[in-house]
Amino acid sequence: MRRRLALLTALITPALAGCGGGSSTPSTGGGGSGGGGAAVNGGTLRAAIPDDPDHLDTGLSYATEGWEILESTGDGLLGFKKTSGAAGADIVPDLATAMPAVTDGGKTYTFQMRAGVRFSPPVNREVVPSDIKFAIERLFRVDSGGVGFYSGIVGADSYAKTRKGGISGIVADDKTRTITFHLTQPDGTFLDYIAIPFAFAVPKGTPDKDISTVSKWRIATGPYMISAYVPKDHITLVRNPNFHSWSTSVPAGHLDRVDIKIGTDPEAAVNEVANGTLDWYFEAVAPDRLTALKAQFPNQVHVYARNNITYFEMNVRKPPFDKLAVRQAVNYATDRGALVKIFGGQGTPTQNVVPPTLGAAYAKQDPYPYDLAKAKGMVAASGTKGMAVQVWSHATDPVPKAAQYMASVLDALGYKASVKTLDEGVYFDTISTQKGDPQIAFVQFDQDYPEAQDFVDVQLNGERIVNVGNQVTSNIDVPSLNRRIDATRRMPLGAARDAQWAALDKSFMQQAPWVPFLNRTLPKYVSPKLHGLVFNGTYYEMFPAMWLSR
Amino acid sequence: MSVQVPERLTETADPAGPVAAVASGNWRMTWRRLRRNRAALVAGAVFLFVVLACYPGAPLWAHLVAHRGPNVQNIQGTVSSGGHRLPVVRADGTPIGPGWRGQYLLGADANGRDLFVRVLYGGRTSLTVGLVSALVCTALALLLALPAGYFGGYVDRAVSRLLDLIWSFPVYLLAVALSASLVVGGLNVGPIHVGSSSLAIPIVVIAVVFVPYIARPVRGEVLALRNQEFVEAAIAHGAGPLRVMRQEILPNVFATTLVLFTLIVANNILVEAALSFLGVGVSVLTPSWGNIIEQGYSTIVTAPWQTIAPGIAIMITAVSLNVLGDGLRDALDPHGRLRGVIT
Repeated sequence: MRRRLALLTALITPALAGCGGGSSTPSTGGGGSGGGGAAVNGGTLRAAIPDDPDHLDTGLSYATEGWEILESTGDGLLGFKKTSGAAGADIVPDLATAMPAVTDGGKTYTFQMRAGVRFSPPVNREVVPSDIKFAIERLFRVDSGGVGFYSGIVGADSYAKTRKGGISGIVADDKTRTITFHLTQPDGTFLDYIAIPFAFAVPKGTPDKDISTVSKWRIATGPYMISAYVPKDHITLVRNPNFHSWSTSVPAGHLDRVDIKIGTDPEAAVNEVANGTLDWYFEAVAPDRLTALKAQFPNQVHVYARNNITYFEMNVRKPPFDKLAVRQAVNYATDRGALVKIFGGQGTPTQNVVPPTLGAAYAKQDPYPYDLAKAKGMVAASGTKGMAVQVWSHATDPVPKAAQYMASVLDALGYKASVKTLDEGVYFDTISTQKGDPQIAFVQFDQDYPEAQDFVDVQLNGERIVNVGNQVTSNIDVPSLNRRIDATRRMPLGAARDAQWAALDKSFMQQAPWVPFLNRTLPKYVSPKLHGLVFNGTYYEMFPAMWLSR
Repeated sequence: MSVQVPERLTETADPAGPVAAVASGNWRMTWRRLRRNRAALVAGAVFLFVVLACYPGAPLWAHLVAHRGPNVQNIQGTVSSGGHRLPVVRADGTPIGPGWRGQYLLGADANGRDLFVRVLYGGRTSLTVGLVSALVCTALALLLALPAGYFGGYVDRAVSRLLDLIWSFPVYLLAVALSASLVVGGLNVGPIHVGSSSLAIPIVVIAVVFVPYIARPVRGEVLALRNQEFVEAAIAHGAGPLRVMRQEILPNVFATTLVLFTLIVANNILVEAALSFLGVGVSVLTPSWGNIIEQGYSTIVTAPWQTIAPGIAIMITAVSLNVLGDGLRDALDPHGRLRGVIT
């Protein structure tokens, strides 16, 4: 039974960046910190993950496990503030000395890179702006799932085809330590794209292939470096001897070493933490254990808010969901509280597209209070009663139970409902193709970066509908709303832009392409010796902040 | 023209020959032997009880006592227990446990469904899959074993290689592979269209993978019978191959087939449970003992009754069928020739 928080690969229509997922990446979070007095340096963290990370290559990794580790070993020009809560969405300089100068009506970003930051052994040399240019161009050469974020850079499209001559819109000058990005059109989210691991510095000469298991090319700039990775067995992080902290936003780290065991399942992890043989586990606590653990070990359980939306999408191209009244009826007939219980109470019910952790872009709405009688009437009037409807879900608990609940809702409305379950490993790829194209399907989406654009534009902009890798799984395509999304995306980050996303959220829920029902949380159970827990929405939990009491 | 041949196989007349023929007198003898086997009789009674509880018992309990069917979800509801109203599913998702009450006697599952009702209805599914797949498996096995043993030569070699081929795969691996491919898109071969949630899929898959377990021993018996005098006599009287196989050989492999059938039923119930547990058996909306266990597995620490209840039902059914099958074998085959044929 799978339950990884894998980011969804791909997406992206030409010229527009963004990224999407069905299952996904991290989110902003509140959540606890271990406390425990003054931080202590030293010690080895005994950690575990259920399976191999997708990649340990910043050019290829597109899953939470990978980003969590790579955050501690790499740096980009910018980064998300390495803190819990809403502040973790703030973008701050990292390898850049300051935030970029934005000119040309929001189409040109110029960064000044700091001096004195060196790559880990065996490269050892100083990081220069052309390493950033190299890293972004390499994405296109290794067919990275992250290329869509950078396809709005001038020359990126032609480079994607030819892979020769570099991307003309990235101008790096190692002598003056500046790097300039020219965009084809303004994009307020570009700073987010520069802060995610795809844009972390990679030394020139790194091969155009997955270097996850090639130790001499796993080069770090951060406080830790990956000294060993044996798939299906273990990963070891040790201190990077060339690292020195250059700002308060880039901590030096307390632990001397992190030993990550691969292949521990969530139930076993709970037992190992309780037995004192494990300090930290990647996955959430198994839902059925949470209540007892909270009661027994309140100081060891931490619940993080994620920038997550969990919903059933309804395919507007397929009957009966081509009728607005039917989509609205399913929303009226769904008791969100029941679905939250199926998910072990781990989250809060919602009827929004945007999660509440995204600040002003979230304006709580409740357009479809539970009303089964009204819903039945709407379905009867639609003339679709009696049709066969298949609910798709993946096989990882408790999602099949949620699908069975949705099937019971559809049965109650007069449809002949069935459930189709696929392995999680193929599920999101399948539902994101027009060939797979379910009538109604479970979707879970965690942010790629902490911005409402990632939720509204990526999943609901009809201009993004494609045959393969389609993140607009509902196939909703309302031109007037698409135009509003496009205009909002060009706005700079800030309150005005957030207000537009909130308005779009309301407009889309009137169209009811989804039955949004849950913003999930991430409950963790850790060793009593582990402190300094920081959960950043993008990078997840941060090894450099952790420390172990003696 | 009917061919008259002497009844030639009795337990005393030909101890080295094939299993005793089951003429009317032998049925009485078989029944006498079976009655002396108390374990088999108790097992038969237990199995009959399970069948009665699942087939007529399930709807009776659901309508008269529990007042809800196996798929009625009641996540937000409450139930009266010990003078208190308790939530069927708590806010943290934990369902109510077993208790002395008509509703939710064995507790609820995560979707607020009555577990006892689901176990009863699940038994219907599991027994149906086990029995029907055993019937299909036996029919397929006879269709292959009779001509293979009767004609020998090329036909026998072809059938034997086919059985070898099926048997060369680990049986569960083959079953999982076949099921996984069929539960996604269903079965669409020419005019035959079977939906992905149809019970026919696990039935056919289980039947096919166990064909060699019946076909091989039956083929061996047919090979031995083929050279018996009564068969030669029937052929000499002008009976064609189909007629000989149907009227002379088939009745003489019936006992073997019956014993194998009873044993394979229990086996198939277990296989259905395994496939459903792995998510490639019966559709999740149709309760079966296997998928009830699967759906309860994630809460095995906090709500173990969800897996224990259907697990006990499977155990009782499988043990009773195996003991009954052993008794039947002992009664039909006092010389123990079938022992070890199937385990």
